[in-house]
Amino acid sequence: MFRNILEKGRRLAGLGSLVAALTVAAPAMAQDKEPIVFGGSIPLSGVFAFAGIHIHAGLTDYTNWINSQGGINGHPVKYVMEDTAYEVDRSVAAFKKISGSSSPATYYGDSTGFMKSIASELNSQGNTLMSGASFATVLTDNETYPYQFIPGPNYSQMFGIILEYIASQGEGGDMPNVAFVYSDTEFGKDPIENGKARAAELGIEVVEEIVTKPGSVDVSAEVLKLRRVRPDYVVFHGYVLSPINEFMVQMRQMGLDTQFMGTFWSSDKLIIDKMGEDADGYMGVMPYNYYDSEESGPMLDALRAQAEESDPEAGYRPTGYMQGWFNAMVWTEVVKRTLDAGKELTGDNMAEALASIEDWDTGGIIGIPVTVRDMSFPVGRIWRVNAAEGRYEPVSDWIHLD
Amino acid sequence: MRIGDAKQSYEADEAIWTSQTQKMWLGLFLLILLVFPFVVNSYLLYLGCLVGIAVISTTGLNILTGFTGLISLGQAGFMGVGAYTVAWLSINTGLPFPVTLVLAGLMAAAVGILVGLPSLRVKGLYLAIATLAASVFLHFIFAEWESVTGGMGGLSLKPASLFGLTFQSDFMMYFIIVPLAVLMVLAARNVFRTRIGRAFIAIRDRDISAEILGINLLRYKLMSFALSSFYAGVAGGLFAYFYRVVTPESFPLSMSIFYLAAVIVGGMGNLLGGILGAAFMTLVPEALKLLTAALTPFYPNAPVFMSPMLEIIFGALIVGFLIFEPHGLAEIWHRIRRFFRLWPFRN
Amino acid sequence: MDWLFFGEISLAGLAMGGLYALIALGFVIIYKATRVINFAIGEIMMFAAYLFLAFAGGMELSPWIALPMAVIGGSILGGVIEKTMIRTMLGESPISVVMVTIGIASILVGLVEFIWTADPQLLPNFLPREPVFIGELYLAPKIAYGFLIGSALLIIYLLYFRFSRGGVALRATASDQAAAYSMGINVRRVFNMAWVFGSLAASLAGVLVAATGGLSPQFGIIGLSVLVVVIVGGLDSILGALIAGVFIGWLETVAGAYLGGEYRMPATFLVLAVILVIRPYGLFGTHEIERV
Repeated sequence: MFRNILEKGRRLAGLGSLVAALTVAAPAMAQDKEPIVFGGSIPLSGVFAFAGIHIHAGLTDYTNWINSQGGINGHPVKYVMEDTAYEVDRSVAAFKKISGSSSPATYYGDSTGFMKSIASELNSQGNTLMSGASFATVLTDNETYPYQFIPGPNYSQMFGIILEYIASQGEGGDMPNVAFVYSDTEFGKDPIENGKARAAELGIEVVEEIVTKPGSVDVSAEVLKLRRVRPDYVVFHGYVLSPINEFMVQMRQMGLDTQFMGTFWSSDKLIIDKMGEDADGYMGVMPYNYYDSEESGPMLDALRAQAEESDPEAGYRPTGYMQGWFNAMVWTEVVKRTLDAGKELTGDNMAEALASIEDWDTGGIIGIPVTVRDMSFPVGRIWRVNAAEGRYEPVSDWIHLD
Repeated sequence: MRIGDAKQSYEADEAIWTSQTQKMWLGLFLLILLVFPFVVNSYLLYLGCLVGIAVISTTGLNILTGFTGLISLGQAGFMGVGAYTVAWLSINTGLPFPVTLVLAGLMAAAVGILVGLPSLRVKGLYLAIATLAASVFLHFIFAEWESVTGGMGGLSLKPASLFGLTFQSDFMMYFIIVPLAVLMVLAARNVFRTRIGRAFIAIRDRDISAEILGINLLRYKLMSFALSSFYAGVAGGLFAYFYRVVTPESFPLSMSIFYLAAVIVGGMGNLLGGILGAAFMTLVPEALKLLTAALTPFYPNAPVFMSPMLEIIFGALIVGFLIFEPHGLAEIWHRIRRFFRLWPFRN
Repeated sequence: MDWLFFGEISLAGLAMGGLYALIALGFVIIYKATRVINFAIGEIMMFAAYLFLAFAGGMELSPWIALPMAVIGGSILGGVIEKTMIRTMLGESPISVVMVTIGIASILVGLVEFIWTADPQLLPNFLPREPVFIGELYLAPKIAYGFLIGSALLIIYLLYFRFSRGGVALRATASDQAAAYSMGINVRRVFNMAWVFGSLAASLAGVLVAATGGLSPQFGIIGLSVLVVVIVGGLDSILGALIAGVFIGWLETVAGAYLGGEYRMPATFLVLAVILVIRPYGLFGTHEIERV
């Protein structure tokens, strides 16, 4: 218990001065121009805190970094956030508070529920561009959500990437089959219909679909079902940890040689840390390079240097950190493009600037140049856990969907 | 003992507003409610709307739990019924919002009667668990009846509109929510001046005695369920217009517990208590956030350790009020009032 | 119909049901002695499981030392709750007492998040991992051994309450507090002991359930399933808790396997609703007669 407290303390020490901040001010050098505000409803507590803490660190570190580079076209950047405990009404309250006091150009939303609830307000205000923790497929609908984008592939596109990988493993007429295991939540059910359609296109048979409650449940009966159909691949979605571990351990105990795969939020190092040896061979789809991957690039190096500087003790930075950083990077690019075109920072102008992103070099955060399609970055790569090394290693090339 | 308070007729004794001073304070309060949206920022306006919705729902639950003594863990479910009714009607029929809100209330009331049916056979905690079962079924229906509820993704609706006015901003919504809240609290106050309301209270105090006195238990218990769910349904309908998204996850069990807590903290069986409780419980998290912000300069990780505090404080409020102040905030309020009324005679 | 599959599913369900029976037993002991419906039982289980995590994972004790320590920790928690909060509510309406337990549940969730953060956790492995076969039927090892450990405690409890002085005192208190008191039974002590023993059963089950399903501050939801068990069985019936526990565990698993995970809760709550209508006091509960 005490070790946990200590560990928590140490982890926080890094955020320390940053969290401090409901605001992080810019250095003096760039203060002559009006600051550009990044707002955020950040889940520092509650069920999503494990990611929220790192998202916050990523956004904070990026803000400090961009300010040390002279801000955006000379404008300093200011990051203003509030904790939401991952509850929609509190996220909305945070948004109203921040948009009322600081008029943010861009904003980080912490959940799909929040992103949907705030849409009409966002659309009528029309001066903020929003992205966040959600990769929900619906948000790619530009009619309803013109000012919201997804900082990676949406969940359906993630399934598309996973299925394409699976298809590439089939030889000739011998296509592997697959089972979907997902939680009984909006999050869990998001990509299933599209996933099934895509699988049919690729000629992959979906042999079983299993719905479970999220979190702590006994899944023995579900494992028995999978034992009957013996899928070559099981794709998890809508979980963070449990019950992925239990499926993997029990199915291996039964002697099945099934491969296990998961989407973004199920592909953090948490899986390795908590499962240890059992995590070996688990695969995830990830649009960003892992912090400890062997890849490099100017931006990735800058990220590592900044992370090192803000908290030398922290070591590895989770995917939430990369996600937060990448969000802020896209915002910067969008704001920059808008300002360069001599336009005002309105929702329409920024959405237009975002849509104009083509073959954009992310400096190593994403391994290939990316193009925005329907307000998302449909790119990703399959990574596999090497438990002995304690990290994910790439097993596919970068896959860019059209 | 108040001076000049002798009642000379039944009308005077039954009147809601008994003195000039009371009317004056009420007038002042209504005036503040009216001015409020014009002077505050969008954040406070949002909180004002939230409190308004919570007041309606808490008042409804107070009728059932506080006045009739029937504990319900289904309040969130009933709100969900109202919210889905509004969402479905506004998407598929385009009826104006006053109609959809009333229909939302009636729909919830119908479901409430259905849920209340076992109340003749079971009571007390068994009934609470029956309402819990109801909320499980309702969640299941919200999630699975995709053709009507949109499944897990839920429904998105357009803002409320009437006579060409669109109630999109919180500012406009405030003028639906708050007058409705005032109206519904007043209506509730009037119910308790009628035979129906007195029957509720008799059932709460001792249902068997009430039955011997000639109160038809099933009828009045169902009436209480219907009335309470009607309030929940209207609150849910407002919720739908306010957020314009309704999903099964919008109405979790914790929301039912939140409203029960609001009734308890405010004061069971006291309408003023319901109002105070709703406002208090809605604002506690925000107040805590202010405290967090004040602490962060000294304890950088305050946000992370303050958030679990919210759960702890929420629980401690429930436990603390039940043990130390079972009549809730309303009692504290009365004590303050008594102090001023009796000053300087009593000390 | 695949009978082998049905057999395996049923076996998994029955094993889970055994754990439900153990938790329900803890619930019934508390109810019998103090007439309190304990909505915090899921959170007491959760707290014990986190204690186990701290002892076995954090302090790296052997699981077989950590397990009894966590279980004892959970039962002390139960005793403290009774002494500080439930005792003061004596004589208040059942609604108020239930709300106090709901408040306690919220406090426990906050405490757990405060100490261990809200991150999802896995307990260290401490049960054998070789698959268990009963005849042709496969059973996941964690559930099998969890069931064995749980049943062992269950049998000890049953024997204890049947034959020991403490067990007789509990039953005497349950049937008539005043009479029990006048016969020299320390009723207040019985109240406290009931909470301690009830929480002890729940704590052991908590560690065993968390070992199979993982642990997070939302773990307490399992309390809802237990609520169904005790209502169906009858709040004051130990036999009812055992039979209903096994039955509900089985039903939940079978419904989940054949209809899908979203049907687990509705299926058991449907049984609950039917029972409430046809036998409001549960299958084996005592029908209380009210007098004015």
